[in-house]
Amino acid sequence: MEDLAQSAVNYSTSLGSTYAEARVQKDLGNSTVMKNGKPQFSGFLREAGIGIRLIINGSLGFASTNNLTQEGIKDTILSAASMARFAAASMKKPIKLSNLKINRAKWEVKQRHKFGSIDVEKKIKLLQNIDKLFRIKSDVKFPSRILSINENLREQIFLNSEGTYITSKVPRVSFLYFMTAYKPSKGTAQRFNKKAESSGWEAILSWDLTEFVSQEINVLASILTKAKRPPRDKTDVILGSEVTGIVCHESCGHPFEADRILGREAAAAGESFVNMKMLGKRIGSKTVNIIDDPTIPSSYGYYLYDDEGVQASRRELIKEGIINEFLHNRETSAGLGIQSNGAARAISYDREPIIRMSNTYMDKGDYNQQELFKAISKGVYIKSFMEWNIDDRRYNQRYVGLEAYFIKNGEPKYLIRNPVIEMTTPSLFKSIDAVGKDISFSAATCGKGDPQQGVPVWTGGPDIRLRNVKIGEA
Amino acid sequence: MSENELSSLVVKEGKKGGAEDVAATCVTEDVKMIRFANNEITVSKAWLLSTINFMIVFKKRVAIASITDLSEGSIKKAVHSLLEIAKSTKPNREYERLPRGPFNYISNPTSESIQTSRLVEYTKDAINGALSIGAKRVAGTLLFNNINTKIETSTGASGYDIGSSLEISVRAFTNSEASGQANQCARRERDFFPSKAGQAAAEIAKEASNPVEGKPGKYNVILGPNVFANLINEVISATSAFNVDSGLSFLKGMLGKRVASSSLTLIDDGTITDGINSRAFDDEGVPTRRTEIIKDGILRSYLHNSSTAKKFKSSSTGNAGWIVPQPWNIIINKGHDDFQNLLSELDDGLYITNNWYTRFQDYRAGDFSTVCRDGLFKIKKGKIDQSIKGLRISDNMPRMLRNIHLLSSKQNWIKWWEVETPTLTPHALIKNVNLTKSLM
Repeated sequence: MEDLAQSAVNYSTSLGSTYAEARVQKDLGNSTVMKNGKPQFSGFLREAGIGIRLIINGSLGFASTNNLTQEGIKDTILSAASMARFAAASMKKPIKLSNLKINRAKWEVKQRHKFGSIDVEKKIKLLQNIDKLFRIKSDVKFPSRILSINENLREQIFLNSEGTYITSKVPRVSFLYFMTAYKPSKGTAQRFNKKAESSGWEAILSWDLTEFVSQEINVLASILTKAKRPPRDKTDVILGSEVTGIVCHESCGHPFEADRILGREAAAAGESFVNMKMLGKRIGSKTVNIIDDPTIPSSYGYYLYDDEGVQASRRELIKEGIINEFLHNRETSAGLGIQSNGAARAISYDREPIIRMSNTYMDKGDYNQQELFKAISKGVYIKSFMEWNIDDRRYNQRYVGLEAYFIKNGEPKYLIRNPVIEMTTPSLFKSIDAVGKDISFSAATCGKGDPQQGVPVWTGGPDIRLRNVKIGEA
Repeated sequence: MSENELSSLVVKEGKKGGAEDVAATCVTEDVKMIRFANNEITVSKAWLLSTINFMIVFKKRVAIASITDLSEGSIKKAVHSLLEIAKSTKPNREYERLPRGPFNYISNPTSESIQTSRLVEYTKDAINGALSIGAKRVAGTLLFNNINTKIETSTGASGYDIGSSLEISVRAFTNSEASGQANQCARRERDFFPSKAGQAAAEIAKEASNPVEGKPGKYNVILGPNVFANLINEVISATSAFNVDSGLSFLKGMLGKRVASSSLTLIDDGTITDGINSRAFDDEGVPTRRTEIIKDGILRSYLHNSSTAKKFKSSSTGNAGWIVPQPWNIIINKGHDDFQNLLSELDDGLYITNNWYTRFQDYRAGDFSTVCRDGLFKIKKGKIDQSIKGLRISDNMPRMLRNIHLLSSKQNWIKWWEVETPTLTPHALIKNVNLTKSLM
């Protein structure tokens, strides 16, 4: 495989490329899916191929094939190089990459239970046991539920014409569930969620899924039967870790992606309300510190070198409320005369590496949960969400709470149904006055790029407190 | 080995191993893409990919695989691995045997090749088209797709389908908050006009200059083709029988009942000559067809494969997906009014040209929101009054379907990032749509 990657780079440079890189990647995946208690299917994905990027006459080309023969790879490179050459003729500004020290490294995530070592019977048994939990003694029924368990293994060789050579091996496991609670007099309530890590099967064992799903079932049933209408006045709000995480991802991570800021993703994923001149400007209260860190061990968005061969690092996107750092690849950083901070990711061999988040979260503060609640005489605690969206400049967002409580005199009193936070990004970050001590993470798949690339990420943070927020109702 | 031989090998090996059903599709793709932004090409991409997808069923135990190593040894090994998985899994009692072939397929050979230099020229045409109307910045994606699909099943289905298509999506900006988006897609090069997409995007962007904050409330709205196509894609998803059964549909239990105003007739058609997602057969080898899903507002059919059809006591609609039935091309029947007539119906309403990020709080109830994007206009007394910004549709899908008032007489094919299934759609005038905005 290394020979193929090297010859792809050599062939690209022989065509006149000033830069070339090759990723040979093998992705293995095993899945088991159960719907309404019935096994739907089990199966696997076995894919391997090569992705090549080249710069020719200042124009960027990307070629990919799973025909891993010298001839197949050359054909694909020729096609991309030809288009890039034609494109170069009309380009005013040649594409440049920032300098990269030559890296030679091997990294991997160790697994106690190796990929593929857990047989299908055991997975089905686990899902069946989880599905039995939906038969609760209640007038709430769960007529629809989907459960899925997945394991993946990605092995990659990266090398480029500058001499960087990286090999990596990352296993990932995930558990997804979608459930509908129903009571004739109340209608339905639904929950979609996922747990995932970069790990072997041991992560699944550590999650204690039966206990975890039991709690989720009970909460959803209670929401359906007990939740009351939310208050509509301005009130104080505590966002639980799950909501804090999606806020950090959507309203800080995405608008801080330098390719959006520079307009490269304008046609599809959009741009950003942030511009390069806003570095150093205040965007939130002093309590706001938002991090993107690919190096958190076993995190879903874990990597040690990105897909341009740049060493990964912890990025402080917002520091004490001030815009501190954007997410860069080698192209966007070159335009600013800085180094890449290693945010280029590709989901598979047939996708171009573009700027992505990894694990984006609000850093911990000083408050324990009791202290966060104590200072609220009347407010709302939004612990989880279902519906959410944000405009393509990442300015106007909406989160509709799922598990949410009315707070009175420092304590959550009763469940409320579908409270809505609909506010601008600066308003949200500026209204935060206290941040909890205890960080937790949620797993997600982040979409961007054309063709779409769904990359594994964690989102997270502690519970946070917002003052004087106007609540809507879905 | 040829695609024919590869699919045959999978079926032969599966049967040899004792499978009761085997289906295999071999898909070969020659794809080229040019992405552009800030009036320049940002990257040129080329793919040459071949994949075999196959389903093996052993005593109602269903196993599915996808592999890219197409050597004979690798295929045999994968088939045997999948057989082992099938044998060790549990029966899916809802599984229905693959339909018995052979079938006659209607050939729709509209595969064309294209010079790479031509793709670059098309991209320039789109950019220049937008700039000529007054756009300051232009971004977008041009895609050329050439796909061959071979199917073979253990029950006698055998077919080969070839197809190519061209798509372009253009977003034009007159400033960072004033933009317009337009698309072109065609099965044949002679029907593809990228400069028109550029011009149309720029026309919206020009009109959208200097937007002011919109006011939330209930409005009568005209949804442009992009928006209506996006929402109708969600409706079609809710007619996939797997989704109906999974709680992912607000159309459960509604067969034969009114689900929309009588203006709405929705069709899925895998056979249409100019449908860029047309294919002769589905993944079970059943010939694709034209299916009336909603007729004059009444829900007539869900989308089915053989197994979901059995469960719903119906018959396959030629939309397999081995697990989840999928649409091919969506057609929304046109109405009788031109766009100006739709505008003239609005005394105080909105015209929404594009949207993105459609998400549901409850699929079963149909509660959702979606963010208005690009040109968004306040309409007063039948005329565009002002460019506005900052609104999202926050409503309920069944209610919106019932409130469809008029459809325009002109339709456009839409397919882009936010509209996955190609959709032929008119403009739609919908009454009493709830729009919300940031409260602070």
